[in-house]
Amino acid sequence: MDLKSLKQKISTLKSESSALINSSNDKGSLEKTYKSYLGKSGEVNLLLKSLGSLPQEKRKEAGMLLNQLKSDIDNSYKDKTSELSKAENELRLGNQKIDISLPSASKADGSLHPVTQTINEISDFFESIGFGIESGPETETDYYNFEALNVPEDHPAKDMHDTFYLKESGLLRTHTSPVQIRTMENKNPPHRIICPGKVFRKDSDLTHTPMFHQIEGLVVEEGASFAQLKGLLNDFLEDFFGREVELRFRPSYFPFTEPSAEVDIKWNKSWLEVLGCGMVHPNVLEMVGVDAKKYSGFAFGLGVERMAMLKYDIPDLRLFFENDYRFLKQF
Amino acid sequence: MQFSRNWLKDFLDLNISTEDLCFQLTMAGVEVDGYDSFNSKITGKDSIIKLDITPNRGDCFSVYGVARELAVINNLKLRRPAFKSIESSFKEDLRIKVCKEAPIYVGRSIKNINLKTKTLPLVAERLALSDQKLIDPVVDITNYILLELGQPLHAFDRDKLEGNINVRKAKKGESLILLDDQEINLSPDCLVISDEKESIALAGIMGGKNTCVTANTKSIFLESAFFKPSVIRGRARRFGFQTDASIRFERGVDYEIQELAVEKASEILCETVGGEFGIIQESKLTKEVPKAKKISLDLDRTNKILGTNITSLKAKKYLKGLGMNPKGSSGKLDLTSPSWRYDIEIEADLIEELARLEGYDSLPTVSLEPKLKIKSESKEKIISASLVSQGFSEVINYSFISEDDEMVFGESKKLVEVENPISQNMRYMRSSLFPGLINTFIHNLNNGLESQKLFEIGSIFSHKKSKKPSERTRVSGLIYGDVSSNHWLDKPRKVNFYDAKGIIEKILSSFDVTINFDPKSSDFLHPGISSTIYNGSKEIGLLGALSPNILGKLGLKEDVFLFSLDIEALKIKSLQKFTKFSKFPSIQRDLAFVIDKDITSHELNVLIKDKGGKDLNNLHLFDVYEGKGVDDDRKSIAISLTWQSSKGTLLDSDIDKVVEKIVNSVKKELDGDLRN
Repeated sequence: MDLKSLKQKISTLKSESSALINSSNDKGSLEKTYKSYLGKSGEVNLLLKSLGSLPQEKRKEAGMLLNQLKSDIDNSYKDKTSELSKAENELRLGNQKIDISLPSASKADGSLHPVTQTINEISDFFESIGFGIESGPETETDYYNFEALNVPEDHPAKDMHDTFYLKESGLLRTHTSPVQIRTMENKNPPHRIICPGKVFRKDSDLTHTPMFHQIEGLVVEEGASFAQLKGLLNDFLEDFFGREVELRFRPSYFPFTEPSAEVDIKWNKSWLEVLGCGMVHPNVLEMVGVDAKKYSGFAFGLGVERMAMLKYDIPDLRLFFENDYRFLKQF
Repeated sequence: MQFSRNWLKDFLDLNISTEDLCFQLTMAGVEVDGYDSFNSKITGKDSIIKLDITPNRGDCFSVYGVARELAVINNLKLRRPAFKSIESSFKEDLRIKVCKEAPIYVGRSIKNINLKTKTLPLVAERLALSDQKLIDPVVDITNYILLELGQPLHAFDRDKLEGNINVRKAKKGESLILLDDQEINLSPDCLVISDEKESIALAGIMGGKNTCVTANTKSIFLESAFFKPSVIRGRARRFGFQTDASIRFERGVDYEIQELAVEKASEILCETVGGEFGIIQESKLTKEVPKAKKISLDLDRTNKILGTNITSLKAKKYLKGLGMNPKGSSGKLDLTSPSWRYDIEIEADLIEELARLEGYDSLPTVSLEPKLKIKSESKEKIISASLVSQGFSEVINYSFISEDDEMVFGESKKLVEVENPISQNMRYMRSSLFPGLINTFIHNLNNGLESQKLFEIGSIFSHKKSKKPSERTRVSGLIYGDVSSNHWLDKPRKVNFYDAKGIIEKILSSFDVTINFDPKSSDFLHPGISSTIYNGSKEIGLLGALSPNILGKLGLKEDVFLFSLDIEALKIKSLQKFTKFSKFPSIQRDLAFVIDKDITSHELNVLIKDKGGKDLNNLHLFDVYEGKGVDDDRKSIAISLTWQSSKGTLLDSDIDKVVEKIVNSVKKELDGDLRN
């Protein structure tokens, strides 16, 4: 063989092998084609073996040309292999498809009672501006529930609370105000506290349950003012309902505050009472030994169920204590 | 109290709509419940105004009092109640003796009255609009004066009185039959009106039956007295009622209108029933009559507390209108409390007056400056968060409970009992949260909820030694039904003891406790499937299956699991600091032992830990087997053990020696065999 016919042969092999490789549809036939050129007895190897028949000075050039051919075929083979692998892989993964619409395997959380959730929402607001949370006993003495709050024995103001009395001694607190007294007795002012908890009144009808929850708040600081009380309750109500709320303050009466006020909010075009509040009565401060010349204070109280009913549109107070899962799971 | 709006015209010329009038009163602290329109044949267009008066405003318990309030609000002139004095035609021979609790007593006899006459149409209409029943002309007129002036009057049948009038404390053992026929036993802190024979009225509350006006009455003795609030308060309530008179006297009646009330009543009586009028006789213990209180008002302080800028001129104008005679200038005013206002005692009361006349809504508003406060963690919040994440729903039950429920679950022998319960089912304070949880569970089961996880956090009550009830805060829970919610991937499994135990362990992982379980039980739990929970050696709770006896009574077939923890016995874990971990490889061995069924896994664990050496740092039980291949009275427990040292790589040969030691000890001490 001479160099010229070798070159021609290489050129033929190149185009022929490239076409064959590219038209392979599977790895088996590709392998076969590959071996037919570059296998031990493949055509390129046979040509390499035949180099000896060429004149000495031509051998080098012919060798280079053949090696080039070898590497060309090798590259097309590798490209085709990876192309086929990719296709094969896609086909395989495509067959592994699952039904993604089947129900998930996540475990459902339970839920906090809406009263607890409401207490937490309200507490979060007050805690964020520096109020601490205090609690106290649900069974109380007449002193903490009434006397220390400026409600003397037999006073008509006691009629405002239908009190449950206990057989042995004491009573069930009618409000969480005793916690304010206990806090002021135990710690020195200034005070910023809220007192959430259960309270009891002998009353049971559509709008009253013998037990319900209250949150009361107390601020005793130098310069605590009615203007601050108004601002605080305004801020609180807007935070709670998450929108602007129209509210009004009107004079009222609680033995433990003076001046006293009732807060109404505009609800479906009429006024609805939601909070009681006022400046702490000097007699109350005096009873717990707070210097009323130096400190002034204000207090407020609200019914948790009532606030939750407004916010979540709950129609009946008694739902809170029935604990029906169809009610609880909504919150 | 309710009354005709036109009645106000006797005292005031006020030309505003009834709606505005009601709004004014509400915004001044005299709450209006509402009003109804009414067309009067006598006075024309009218309205019935309904008030809800707070206990401090006894002065507004009359039409005149409301008119006075409206006059101040509108800066109008108030007309004093007008009357034509009826001349007397005879002297009074009754003597009246008063006492310090009743320092003013005005009386007048009227003889030869004609009770066959009718109450005047205007009086009758006004009484009807005030929801007051018509009785007879005399009683109607006393009721009319009470509504108009706030002064309760009482008319005795003059001919039934036996001698002089004495206002005194009741005697021990004394009793009295009241107008409404009920006989009451008086105690010495009650004030009575008596003649020389016996008590004839419960002072300021209700008259007696024996001396009341009847159809045959010819002469009357009219009483207009001032009784101190302290001697009336609570007395009527003690006998289970209230009267229009007691409501007014216990809140405080104007101590300057007793004579006016008699004059005014006389005028109407004369016009209605006629008769001869005696002289008006007044007995007075002057030094016991309340006096106007002197109060000073510091305007600076007032403005600071209200956040306002009220001038001394303005303050004086308001206070003068209220009848408080303000004196002084610059920052300090001296005033006196009006005879009709019992709620004006100290400076704070005056501040309220200024605030309400200024209008609460027009007072300034400022935000409260936030303060930084480090939040304290709440144990209740930690526990409820853990339970909610484990699928539990929180419930809130009444703290009241029936005796039957207490008998089953109560942990206290001495229950806290409510003296005036709302019903027999709510007579005791709960000493356990379980009855409430079980009732809730059954309610929801009946409504189709097959699997339930419920919890409640709340107080339980008992009497320890003292009379004072003791309270503890507790969390209790209930689990029933499938452990997971019937998912297509899971095999359904009913909840069991170990689920409940896991819940307890998860809750307690946030607290500083060394948990121990000990199979000691309560009566309401299954004796073999329950445990007491300890922190070290201190009892902090319990868990287990509800006793099959109770399950049977409730008609339940599947197990109900209960748990309970005493929250007060728990302490939140202190801050977890970093501990160094070993970088050397660990060695793991799995061992299965066959031991007697009676031996607990806890006993096996303790022994293995004891023999496993200091580098044994994990022990995990992964299988319990009973049945084929294991003797009937034996069980197999498989445990995976992991050793790791912080000092270097452990050698297999060393661990082999330790394993041999463990196997020998289990054989020797627990008669346990290594299972192949």
